Amino acid sequence: MKVMSPKDLEKLRKELLERRKHKQVIAVCVGTGCVALGAQKVVEAIKDEVKKHGLEGVVEVRETGCLGMCELGPMLLCFPDEIPYFRVKPDDASEIISKTIMKGELIERLLYRDPITRELVSKVEEIPFYKYQLRLLLENNAKIDPRKIEDYIAIGGYSALAKALFQMTPEQVLEEVKDSNLRGRGGGGFPTGRKWETCRNAPGKPKYALVNCSEGDPAAFKDRALMEANPHAILEGLIIGMYAMGAREGFVYVRNEYPLAAEHMELAVKQAEKIGFLGEDVMGSGLSFRVGVHRGGGMFVSGESTALMSGIEGKIGEPRPKYIHTTVRGLYEKPTNLNNVETWMNVPLIISNGAGWFKKIGTEGSKGTKVFSLVGKVSNVGLVEVPMGTTLKDMVYKIGDGVKNGKRLKAVQVGGPGGGFITEEMLNIPVDFDEMVKAGTSMVLGSVVVLDEDTCIVDLTRYFAEFLSEESCGKCIPCREGLRVLSKILNDICEGKGKEEDIVMIEDIAEAMKEASLCALGSTAVNPVLLSLKYFRDEYEAHIKIKRCPAKVCKNLKGEN
Amino acid sequence: MELECQHCNYKWDYLGDNEYYATCPRCRYKVKIPEDKVQVLRRKKLDQELKRRFPMEKKPVKLFGIAGMVNKVTEDYLYDKSMMIQILLRLQRSFGWLPREVLSEVSKQLGVPLSQVYQAATFYKAFSLAPRGRHLIRVCMGTSCKVRGAPIILDRVQRLLGIERDETTPDLRFTLETVKCMGCSALGPVVVVDQDNYGNVKSADLEKILSKYK
Repeated sequence: MKVMSPKDLEKLRKELLERRKHKQVIAVCVGTGCVALGAQKVVEAIKDEVKKHGLEGVVEVRETGCLGMCELGPMLLCFPDEIPYFRVKPDDASEIISKTIMKGELIERLLYRDPITRELVSKVEEIPFYKYQLRLLLENNAKIDPRKIEDYIAIGGYSALAKALFQMTPEQVLEEVKDSNLRGRGGGGFPTGRKWETCRNAPGKPKYALVNCSEGDPAAFKDRALMEANPHAILEGLIIGMYAMGAREGFVYVRNEYPLAAEHMELAVKQAEKIGFLGEDVMGSGLSFRVGVHRGGGMFVSGESTALMSGIEGKIGEPRPKYIHTTVRGLYEKPTNLNNVETWMNVPLIISNGAGWFKKIGTEGSKGTKVFSLVGKVSNVGLVEVPMGTTLKDMVYKIGDGVKNGKRLKAVQVGGPGGGFITEEMLNIPVDFDEMVKAGTSMVLGSVVVLDEDTCIVDLTRYFAEFLSEESCGKCIPCREGLRVLSKILNDICEGKGKEEDIVMIEDIAEAMKEASLCALGSTAVNPVLLSLKYFRDEYEAHIKIKRCPAKVCKNLKGEN
Repeated sequence: MELECQHCNYKWDYLGDNEYYATCPRCRYKVKIPEDKVQVLRRKKLDQELKRRFPMEKKPVKLFGIAGMVNKVTEDYLYDKSMMIQILLRLQRSFGWLPREVLSEVSKQLGVPLSQVYQAATFYKAFSLAPRGRHLIRVCMGTSCKVRGAPIILDRVQRLLGIERDETTPDLRFTLETVKCMGCSALGPVVVVDQDNYGNVKSADLEKILSKYK
């Protein structure tokens, strides 16, 4: 059925809701994390069990995207009571069906047990990991199967698009986004509304809108989780954005390492075209929108805006100088707007709930929520969404439940290889674009890596420098040569061949790279080096002067004693 | 191709090659060309292009061997130069690697200089210019996995197979690669063999995991 007006959409939604009114749902997480722990076998076992009991019409087994708590996977939720079960094995399937689904009883051994009070928790909101989060973007993950557009429509999807197309002019949509003070979630936190406006007012046609899902940061997986779990929300945001900017064509750039995300997005585009949210005459408004999915070739630098655009043009993904903003001259030399996956996902929320609602969440300068992947040596690893203004301390100790195995926290690494270190004393820093920049780091790539006392900072910095020198495209010299020399010096230090003048040398190179690099890869690459020198200089000195590695990581050096 | 003017309902046979609009010969009104007819037009253009490229033959030559296999892919993308990376990605997936013959064939069929094809093939990590093993082992060396002990795992795999990273065993059974983050940092260290992810790997388990793949 093709939706040709907002009324059609409402009718379709009512039908869908009616059809699934009395259905019980078992939502099993088949995100990458849970699949690695055997979630696919659990799904098959539950499906078999449902068939055995003859409940096919009543119980639906839904394969959803990431539900967040990867540490205790495979995880599943039993609707309508939202009973969470963790560490589920295929053998537990019969018990889940016969007890929880048919009788409504709880299975105690699969429930979450509070580590301190030892009490059982049978509600998602009461688990500390979820209690301190504000899940606006991730909330729907359990409610939809990413392969089914019907699920997304049933929970109110595409109504923001209908509202934008039929009740608002493009200027009003733009004004709403500007008013909400939404800031770009992918990089420096540039106000999205202003970016859209520049693109809208730029001369030249056609205009393009792009989605950036090329997150190459080693440790971040938020974009992947978002796109795998809820591709339609991204698509809806993109269409609203294209409407506001006057663009008629959009692209979704997905990195090669994320085949499942690309597959889900391609499927979502096809379904949206079939039902009439894309293509000619969208929902009877007379406008036409087209979206293409483009797979990258697997390079970290291809996520940079200009490199991404030349990738879509079919050239190799190298950045080019940005004397003129890409919003004025980007893809095919036409005005192009590029936003991160998370930014696009916020757009439908703003349009349907209004800018005023959105402005209530967050801090003065940064509104809304932010999704992080909380990883490293922390007890509760997973995908976390917190309102802006939450301190990192809360994230590590309340949501993450402290450092694993009771070790001492050394630092928190934020923002991937272009970010920086936050020491224990600074942990009270809130999640906020301006505050983070003040601390010398950025929220660029949305990963929070917790490091304990067993992590050698010099070794980690060396790893970042090595990673970036492998990923550097080699177009500009400061980045190519600077990173090579940096990683060589740091390698020497780790192997016990460090010299005292090395630290001065590192600082010199870092300064030059910061000033002269072509794109953000080079200029932010020095952040971890400089910040580690600032906060952990004693560790460098221990490596160089007394040839000791305090964390006992570097192989050629002696331990503490 | 027959078009109808919405303005004056005049019907005529359109012979031009514009993909978006045609002008009605009677009232000079702009007529939008419907999507299905655009496809017909593109086919026609493609035929003309082929005729231009192979002027001697009446119909395009039937290509055999590698040329034919490459042609199957390039034809899907309508010989579009901007789709070169997508074409190479698909070829990489079906061949497992990119032999020189494939690259020169791509360059010939798309009309792109061979140097540019090589530039793309050597720039991106996804392409390989050497044969790959039947099974691909990817050891994650992302920040989180590294902190959780991935280097030990990598060491163990290297010793088990007797190869360094980015190498293939002589019997073409395994290729070993390191990647920066597979997107499941929560479970580090992660080893991925073909499509199967193994989380929380311990170096003692590796032998068992690898013996599953022949």
